[in-house]
Amino acid sequence: MIGFILLVTFIGIVIVAFFAITQKRLADAIILLMGVGLGNVVLFFIFKAPDVALTEAVIGAGISTLIFLMALKHLGECR
Amino acid sequence: MNLKRELPTSTISGFALSGLLVLTILNILLHNLPQKIQTAGDALLKLNTQEGVANAVTTVVVYFRGFDTLGEIAVLFIASLGIGLMLQANIQCDIKAESNFMLKTASKLLFPIIILFGIYVMVYGHLSPGGGFQGGVIIASAVLLLLISHKEFEVPHAVIIVLEAFAGVAYVLIGLLGLLVLDIFLGNFLPHDISQMGMLVSGGIIPVIYIIVGIKVGSEMSMIVQNLIKRSNDV
Repeated sequence: MIGFILLVTFIGIVIVAFFAITQKRLADAIILLMGVGLGNVVLFFIFKAPDVALTEAVIGAGISTLIFLMALKHLGECR
Repeated sequence: MNLKRELPTSTISGFALSGLLVLTILNILLHNLPQKIQTAGDALLKLNTQEGVANAVTTVVVYFRGFDTLGEIAVLFIASLGIGLMLQANIQCDIKAESNFMLKTASKLLFPIIILFGIYVMVYGHLSPGGGFQGGVIIASAVLLLLISHKEFEVPHAVIIVLEAFAGVAYVLIGLLGLLVLDIFLGNFLPHDISQMGMLVSGGIIPVIYIIVGIKVGSEMSMIVQNLIKRSNDV
């Protein structure tokens, strides 16, 4: 069961990462990158590293996505 | 302007990276993880019981590698300083639009809950997964919610200065006290009995240091977020 969840998560991460790097619009790419971070959270949790999972959930999927979006907004409007 | 043209992301390199990732994953899945490898981590985990802290990761991060944590805090401080210096330079655009009604109402409801959760993660860092870094960033994300929902909200600068200076000085002072009492920098000089393991007050200086780390990380991340969003026209 755990192996099946792992396999699905791995394949999902690879697919989401592929779409993230081939995306035309940068905002969509950032959101897809957040999907990679959420997959990583599941992986860290299954591999018995809840501390790292918590850090990844807060920083990788939360704050860094918002900071990327802010930077994109600045780039679009300040040039 | 086209950012994609300046950052070359070719499809071939994407395919190569994806293939490498898939191979690594298959390698992990097909071979089981190695059962028993004697490493430095195992030796540290055996020592963990002496400190009376339930969460072994916290013991390693704060006690066995306490000096590294001091370095990490310094790195975060320098990053915050750099962002503050760069972003206040010569930008004259205020991008804050009026946020919508739903976000305003929900932020009033969610802000105290997120703050409470951050403090919980911070204070229980030696008992359950979590700790100063995670709790600090959760508190900063609550500040971020308030910043994007309320146009007039601003992080009080004087409070941040006091908190950050207090946390930085307190960390070094605790280390020096350990040097004075036990002849070890960051030595555990408070009582840390194994019978107290699992209680809220246990583990000597370890929870104290993690709370200090949480205060410092929270204040620094709040300032980073505010600098990125506000772009301070008035500074």
